[in-house]
Amino acid sequence: MGLENLNGRVAWIFEDVDFDVDEIVGVKNIKIQDVEKLADIAMRAFDPRFHDQVQAGDLLVGNHNFGYGHPHYPPMIAMRRLGISGVIAESFSPGYWRGEIAMGFPQVSCPGILAAVKRWDRIEVDWAACVVRNLTQGSSLGFEPLAIADRQMLETGGLIGYLHARSQAELT
Amino acid sequence: MGSTIAEKILARTAGVASVAAGDEIRAKPDFVIAYDFPGYTNVIFKQMEEDFGIEKVAEPERFALFIDHMVPAVSPEEEDLHRNTRDWGAKNGVPVYERLGIGHHVASELGYSTPGAFVVHFDGHVSQMGTFGTLAMGIRRHLLEAFVNERIQMQVPATVRVNLHGEAGRGVMARDIFHHIVRELGPAACRFQVLEIGGEALEHLSIDGRQTINCLAMFTGAVTAIMNPDAVTLPVALERARLDIEPVRSDADARYSAVHDIDIDALEPVVVVPPSPRNTQNLKDYVGTEVQVGYLGSCASGRLEDLEIAARVLSGQRIKPGFQLHVVPTSQAIMEEASRRGYLTDLIAAGAYVTSSSCDYCFGRAGVMTAGQRAVSTGTLNVRGRMGSPDSEIYIVNAAAVAASAITGEITDPRHYL
Repeated sequence: MGLENLNGRVAWIFEDVDFDVDEIVGVKNIKIQDVEKLADIAMRAFDPRFHDQVQAGDLLVGNHNFGYGHPHYPPMIAMRRLGISGVIAESFSPGYWRGEIAMGFPQVSCPGILAAVKRWDRIEVDWAACVVRNLTQGSSLGFEPLAIADRQMLETGGLIGYLHARSQAELT
Repeated sequence: MGSTIAEKILARTAGVASVAAGDEIRAKPDFVIAYDFPGYTNVIFKQMEEDFGIEKVAEPERFALFIDHMVPAVSPEEEDLHRNTRDWGAKNGVPVYERLGIGHHVASELGYSTPGAFVVHFDGHVSQMGTFGTLAMGIRRHLLEAFVNERIQMQVPATVRVNLHGEAGRGVMARDIFHHIVRELGPAACRFQVLEIGGEALEHLSIDGRQTINCLAMFTGAVTAIMNPDAVTLPVALERARLDIEPVRSDADARYSAVHDIDIDALEPVVVVPPSPRNTQNLKDYVGTEVQVGYLGSCASGRLEDLEIAARVLSGQRIKPGFQLHVVPTSQAIMEEASRRGYLTDLIAAGAYVTSSSCDYCFGRAGVMTAGQRAVSTGTLNVRGRMGSPDSEIYIVNAAAVAASAITGEITDPRHYL
């Protein structure tokens, strides 16, 4: 089974180091469970026009230690609802990383990404080559390969699919 | 080349002679522990049955559940969650420890912190168990894997070694040492790695203090923290150990991704300024900041030495009228001992509100603040909204500073009272 490459525009660049993802929906909204409501709130504080411009498949870019703090799931549930297909960052905070990979949400650890892209550039994540291509600028940048469990989790849509695949593999 | 303590533990649990950072292994946790919490245990129980057709866990003696959040329950829904946990435990033959204190601390009291053991939980603060040479990792929702499979797939993390040198001065506690480590190394220095802490400064650190430091490892980016068992921890840990396994230690020539030396001789009390655990500053620069709430408790702090020093600061004093000081010992066993020693008497006489052990004051379920209020806290975290309104603020300080600030109603250097 292979992972389908991601191809989309850079919908937003979070420039803060140690970015706390809860800020995407705002801490006061972190307990909202309604996906539509979350999606409506998300990113308003960063760019009021975000919802009008974002398209299915678009990607987010982050700085070092993305997801630091005490990350909750609603912000990225909201981002997926808006069509975001993955996050590429200089590096990630482990708690955030584990949580989102378990949700089957692609995360790409790519040192140098901040200098390599501008907002709205079209980029491609090539899993097999371990490369992020900036199709707008015609450049490319290697990223850190995924651990086996992480890769299989993305291939199978998340933790449940992964564990089913594992049980199957062990039975056969 | 030798191995680190973490590598030795993972090699044993993976059934191989040795492992190195980056190796892919299938490790069998010695213990799988969790507290009941909506979205975690209740979902795991459901997924086990509905998605995997597993009615009971194999080897129930490897599992332990704790009821420490939402204690006491304030709604039928919360009590329903707890009842569901008790029922699941009874059905599976898995012990459910309730109202004994904060789960992973109680796990240490009950011997799950066996030196050399590998423990998984969904909550990262379980790294506290590393105090006893136990490798304990918080793996969030991946914990499901340990409920449905004997082994979990994982990559062996590298280890960062931190050597602590010197001795903490008056009014400087383990809490200050940990946040000083974050200040020195940065909040990402140990990302995806094990933080192994050693150095001769440990000789002066109590078990309580070591638990404080290990408990907070996640704020360096570490997946856990661990200390090699020594003359202080080993006798205690072995006496209550639940498994008969050989304690292991890092070899002198073990491989570390980095080695850092940090001196604590000149360290002063610190404050972690909101809204991030990365913001360690010297407390003296924030003296005078008005605060209305104090919280002394949590799995990080709230142990005997924290209660002792707070009692010493507050003995014969009265907290400022209107100030809310919540004292919540980390476990009932600690509370009982603090009571026996008279610490609680001193705290209560000074005006502290002392409560049986619970996680609820730490995560904004009890003793919450409204907009504009500020707390001094020994809780785990100071992010916005952690203790109530997103427009309230949390200043993390050591237990002595919480007590001293309760007297004055402003952030206060505890050394004036010691």
